[in-house]
Amino acid sequence: MFSSSVSVHTPVAGDDASVGGGAPSGAPGRTVLDPVALARLQELDPTGANQLLQRVLKAFQTSVARLRPQAEAARRSGDNAAIRLVAHTLKSSSASIGALGLSALCAHIEASVRAEPGADQTANLDTLAAALDDVMGAIELRLREGV
Amino acid sequence: MTPRHTLADDDLPEQPQVLLVDDDEVNLLLTSMALRERGFAITEATSGEQAIQILTAWVPDVVVLDAVMPGLDGFQTCRALRAMPSIESLPVLMLTGLDDDASITRAYEAGATDFFVKSTQWSLLAGRLTYLLRAARTRAELERSKSRLARAQDLARMGSFDWRRGHGGPVFSVEGLRVFGMGPPDVLGFRALLRMLSDDDRNGLVQVLHDVMRHSTVLATDIPATLHDGRQRIVHVEAEPEFNENGSLIGYTGIVQDVTDRRMAEDKIRHLANFDTLTGLPNRRQLIWRAERALEHGRRLNHQVALLLIDLDRFKVINDTLGHSAGDELLMEVARRLRSCVRHSDQVTDASIESLSSRSHRSLEAVGRYGGDEFVALLPEVLDERDAERVATRILDLMREPIFVGGQECFVTASVGIALYPRDGASVADLLRNSDIAMYSVKSTGRNSSSMYRPALAGQGRKKLELETALHKALERGELVLHYQPKVDVRGAKMVGVEALMRWRHDNVLVPPLDFIPLAEETGLIVPFSEWAIGEAARQAGIWRKNFGFSDSIAVNLPNRLFERFDLVEYIHNAVTKYGVPHHAIELEITEGGLMQDLQNVIPALHRLNEIGVEISIDDFGTGYSSLAYLTRLPISELKIDKSFVRDLGITRESSAVVTAIIALARSLGLRVIAEGVENLRQMKVLNRLGCELMQGFLFCRPKPADEIETWLQTILTGKASWIGKADDAEIAEVLRFADGRGPRFKPAS
Repeated sequence: MFSSSVSVHTPVAGDDASVGGGAPSGAPGRTVLDPVALARLQELDPTGANQLLQRVLKAFQTSVARLRPQAEAARRSGDNAAIRLVAHTLKSSSASIGALGLSALCAHIEASVRAEPGADQTANLDTLAAALDDVMGAIELRLREGV
Repeated sequence: MTPRHTLADDDLPEQPQVLLVDDDEVNLLLTSMALRERGFAITEATSGEQAIQILTAWVPDVVVLDAVMPGLDGFQTCRALRAMPSIESLPVLMLTGLDDDASITRAYEAGATDFFVKSTQWSLLAGRLTYLLRAARTRAELERSKSRLARAQDLARMGSFDWRRGHGGPVFSVEGLRVFGMGPPDVLGFRALLRMLSDDDRNGLVQVLHDVMRHSTVLATDIPATLHDGRQRIVHVEAEPEFNENGSLIGYTGIVQDVTDRRMAEDKIRHLANFDTLTGLPNRRQLIWRAERALEHGRRLNHQVALLLIDLDRFKVINDTLGHSAGDELLMEVARRLRSCVRHSDQVTDASIESLSSRSHRSLEAVGRYGGDEFVALLPEVLDERDAERVATRILDLMREPIFVGGQECFVTASVGIALYPRDGASVADLLRNSDIAMYSVKSTGRNSSSMYRPALAGQGRKKLELETALHKALERGELVLHYQPKVDVRGAKMVGVEALMRWRHDNVLVPPLDFIPLAEETGLIVPFSEWAIGEAARQAGIWRKNFGFSDSIAVNLPNRLFERFDLVEYIHNAVTKYGVPHHAIELEITEGGLMQDLQNVIPALHRLNEIGVEISIDDFGTGYSSLAYLTRLPISELKIDKSFVRDLGITRESSAVVTAIIALARSLGLRVIAEGVENLRQMKVLNRLGCELMQGFLFCRPKPADEIETWLQTILTGKASWIGKADDAEIAEVLRFADGRGPRFKPAS
């Protein structure tokens, strides 16, 4: 099931955003976050006066800090509905910051729970945890570099 | 960040208030940032619970709600806020995922106004919100206008209804039901509606509805309905037909309105406009309207219509002596009596006549007040003039009963003129004029009677009317003149005084006294005319006094009613004083008839006049019925033998007997006696022989303008007059013998 999910999201994420296969360790922040999506965000604050990008990325960090424990708890209790909610939320927020691979993975998890509410999501959640690590790493890098 | 004003819409608030609900911090931040930049004011909430909390205290213009949230999700939140008062119509936009068809359906079910697939294309979201706001605004306006309409309809006691062919009865709005005293959940169908009507009205309405439907025309009618609570209301119904695309009638849509109050006000106004407030009878306007309708019917159904003009006799006297309120009382009583003489109907409206049957003109029958003391009875159908005369007789009979007004019994009579359509006129104006002419003919022949119009009366009437109008202006135009006829002492061949006779120079023609004095008496103009005559006579006496030492009297004829004037003495005093002549320069003549008719009222004046030296002469003596007892005590100076006796002197025995008696009476009472109308020597000689030396008549002098009197005086002074020296003619004895019946009748020489 997971391999099929990879094959689903691969065309969406593109080579740069490969999640399951592991990104080239040299420049994770540059490829995990889609520059086009980031550029569109930047347009909302062309001069940077509002520090929009930083705020959005920090908001994402806050969101993930809230959602991760929820995901862990859901994994332990096998609460697929809670897993789906976390995936749904992450799906759109990750898309917003250009984490397209993560977003595709979340969409995949959401769809998989909807299609088969009782199915075991452990593997998906592992993949999600790794993908989140990548994205969080990239964000950390971005914020350190002053975006 | 400078907001770009993308909300260029005059209808929308400057900065629409948006409540943005999303549990995801990233989305919340981005969405609110994007919307703020586009001119929206954003309030953020991170859960459904928080959103509801906010909405209890504040209402935004629009709510943007994430569908999937922990806790209360978007759908539950939407349902919850829809249940809150004042938020039921707030626009709610549900944010859903692209791959989430089920959520879209659920969103609508939960009461969301619209959905929006989450996207980073913010302008699309802003556009959708603008659209939602505008729709909400329009909807709110509609709601407001609907409630305004409902309020207006309630105030106007108006409501609406729809009727669809083949779908049962009409469907009334709440306000419409209220007009009929009902409310939801009542249903008012055709049957129930018709049951509120009287039988006649029901049949009428059914007929109207059938007609309207058959021709697919507009319905507009008034229904007198009795509501369930027993209230009588008049409901105005107005509806327009509706057609489908094929042009067939599919139903009606319209309004119902309670117009009872308006109708009552209209009735009141109509009543005021059509009825006399004093008597409650139809007024002139209503009478004319009814008469016109009656003539239309008469024309169509070929029957006769009668119009009776009823004028009270001597009403003015009652009004003047008892006062206006007594006059009003009298008119009210007269109205009540007149009403009983005809099948009087009050209830005539413009509409009822049009819609009634062919016999409806009967309801036009009425008696109305045409003017001050003038009434009109309208008989919309008579067989012949006897029908009308019967009504006139009934009227005159009823008038004969005494009327108790102003604390005393009054007797009022009436003069009735009758005109018939079509014989006496084809229009109401003609009939009114001709009934007036007929009425005047009654007045001139003694009143208290009725008369049919006859064409022969018309000329008289018109001429009289014209004359009357002109006579009113005679005084101010200076058209009145006095002519003078000398009183002569035949033995001494001298003038002993003159009588002033009024003439009217109208259109350069001298109108004979008989043609205007009676009219002046009838109209009351005789009073100012006589006053003028006194002044004019005094003026003339003054002139003659200067010119030839005139020291006799000028006799002025006065109607008896002038003697009742308390200021008559003063008036004469002022007149003579003004022209520097003594009181006795004016002598007053009162007819024997006038004197006796009003003896008690006249006597005090005679005494006062006598005291200041104004002599009184009794005119036309012998024609009235003088009380000899009074005659002995009256302060009078002269008797004038009526010309009718003088005319017959030497012809009938009776006339010389009367003249002899008058002369004897005068002599024994110490009064002067003078004969009027002496036209020939025979009369002069007989009178002289009987002992009357003072005379007046054409034989001596016709009435002449003042300046010609001076010329005439010359003929006496020079002895040139034909009659001088002829008074004691021997042949008179012969004449008298004939007149006394002792010989063949005297034949006057041709």
